[in-house]
Amino acid sequence: MRPTRPLGYALIGALLAGWEAAARAGAVNPAFLPPPSQIAGAWWALWASGQLAEHLAATLGSWAQGYALAAVLGVSLGLLMGLVPAIRAMLSTIVELLRPMPSVAIIPVAIVLFGLGDPMKRFVVAYAALWPILLNTLYGVLAVDPLLLDTARTFRLGAVRSALRVTLPAASPYIATGLRISTSIALILVITAELVASRSGLGYAVRAAEQASRVPEVYAGVLTIAVVGFLLNALFVALEGRVLAWHRGVTAREAV
Amino acid sequence: MQRGALPAGVAEGGVDARRAWAAPWAPAALGLALRRQALGLATLAALLVVWEAASRTRLLNPQLVPPVTDILATFGQLWTDRPFPQQTFVTQTVATLWRMAVGYVAAAVLGIGLGLLMGRSRAVADLFWPLIEFLRPTPPVALIPVLLLLVGIGDQMRLIIIAFAALFPILLNTIDGVRGVHPTLLDVARTFRFRGLALLRRVIFPAALPQIVAGLRISLAIALIVALVSEMVGATNGLGYFILQQQRGLRIRETYAAMVQLALVGLVLNALFVAVERRVLAWHRQSTGQA
Repeated sequence: MRPTRPLGYALIGALLAGWEAAARAGAVNPAFLPPPSQIAGAWWALWASGQLAEHLAATLGSWAQGYALAAVLGVSLGLLMGLVPAIRAMLSTIVELLRPMPSVAIIPVAIVLFGLGDPMKRFVVAYAALWPILLNTLYGVLAVDPLLLDTARTFRLGAVRSALRVTLPAASPYIATGLRISTSIALILVITAELVASRSGLGYAVRAAEQASRVPEVYAGVLTIAVVGFLLNALFVALEGRVLAWHRGVTAREAV
Repeated sequence: MQRGALPAGVAEGGVDARRAWAAPWAPAALGLALRRQALGLATLAALLVVWEAASRTRLLNPQLVPPVTDILATFGQLWTDRPFPQQTFVTQTVATLWRMAVGYVAAAVLGIGLGLLMGRSRAVADLFWPLIEFLRPTPPVALIPVLLLLVGIGDQMRLIIIAFAALFPILLNTIDGVRGVHPTLLDVARTFRFRGLALLRRVIFPAALPQIVAGLRISLAIALIVALVSEMVGATNGLGYFILQQQRGLRIRETYAAMVQLALVGLVLNALFVAVERRVLAWHRQSTGQA
C-alpha cells in the first residue's frame, strides 16, 4: 500500500474547485447546491453558536451508550453460545430468525415501546449493533485452536479462567471484526432514528434544516456526519492495530 | 492447499461454524435441520408462549406489546382481506423489492466494473482511493436530505441512495478479489495469450468471483435497509412507508405485523441469495476441494 496518493487528493481538490466555480457562475442552482465556501461558512456559524456541538453530543451519546450495551451483551452471549453447546442449540433458531431482519424495522416498534427520546435511540443502536458482535464472537470461539484449550486443560485451568484467559484472547481478532462492523451500523441506525423520529441529534438537525430550506446548513450537517463516520472508523482501526498488535506478532509467520 | 493467513485450527473451526449455521430452509436438509434445531424451536416456542401469557394477563401492557396471536392474526389479514389493495403486504412488498432491485443492480454493475478497473490498474486505484476512503464511512442515510434537495422527493432519490449504499461492499470486494488472483493463474493465462477483455472475462473475473459474491451478499442486506429508510422519508408506498404509517397511526398490532413481514422478507432474500450463490460458485467449491 502506498502511503500517499497525490493524484487522488488532487481529484478531490479539483472536484471541490469545480463545484465552487459552477455554483458561483450559476451553472448549477446555488439554491440547491451552494458553493463549498458558503457551506464552510454555515458550518462555522453553526459551530460558533454551539448548536452543532449540542446535536453532535446527542448523536455520539446515543451511539456510544447503545454500542457499549451491544458490545457487552454480544461478547458475553457469543462466548456463552460458543462454549456451551446446549445454549447454542437453544438460541440458534431465534438468532437465525432475527438476524436477517433489516435492523431499521425495529425503529417503529422501538418508538411504540420507548417513545421518541434518547432511550429509543439507545435501544435501536444496541439492537442493530448486537448481531455482528454476537455472531463474530461465536465464530471466533468456535474457531479457537483445540490445541490451546488442551494446553489450558493440561495446566488445570478451570472452565471460567480458560474461557477468559484463553478462549477470549484467541477469539479477539474475530470479536474486533464484529466490533468494527458494528461501529458503522450503529452510526447508520442512530442517524436513521434521528431522521425519522427524534427531536435531537445530527440526523434531526439535518432534516429540520432541509424542511426549513436552510440549504447550506443541510450540507454543513451532512459534512459533520461524514466526518464523524470517518473519524470513528479511523479511531477504531488505530485502536484495533494497537490492541491486536500481539496477535499479529504471534501469527506473523502464518501471514507470509 | 496453499498456506493461508489462518492456522489450521481456525480453518477447521470456520468450516464447523459454517456447518452449524447452515441454512435450515435448504429443502433437502429440512428434516435433519428440524431435528437438529428441535431445542432451538422449543426455546422459541416457550418464549412466544410466555409473551402471549404476559400480554393476556396484562403483565406486559397489551397496548404496547400485543399478544403474539393477535399480531399473527393481523399479519394474516394484512396479506389478504384489507379493503384497499394498496394497504396489503403484497403491493407494499413489491414496491420495496422493486426499488431495491433497481438500485442493487446499478450498484452491482458499477461496483464490479469499477472494481475490476481499480484492481487491475494502480493509476486508476490511486486516483479514486482517497475519495472512496472518505465517502465509504459516511452513513449513507445521511445523504438523504441532500438528495431531497438535489433531485426532490421522488423515487430517483431512493434509487440513488440505495445504489450508493450498496456500491461500496461490492466495489471493495471486487478490488480485493482481483488483486488476490493467484499469480500462477495470470502466468498461465499469459502463456495462452489471453489479453485485455478475454483475460478479464475468462480468467480474472471467475477467479475473483467468490469475493465479489461475498460483497454482493453484504450489499443485499444494506440495500434492503437503505430502501426501507428511504421509504420512511416522504414515500407514499413500500414497506418502510407502511410500517412507519402504522406506528404514527398508533395501530400497534399492525406495526408489529409489519416488522414480522420485514423479518420474513429479509429471511427469504437471504435464502434466495444462498441458493443462487451455491449454484454460481459450485465450480469453485469443486475446484478447491471443499465439499
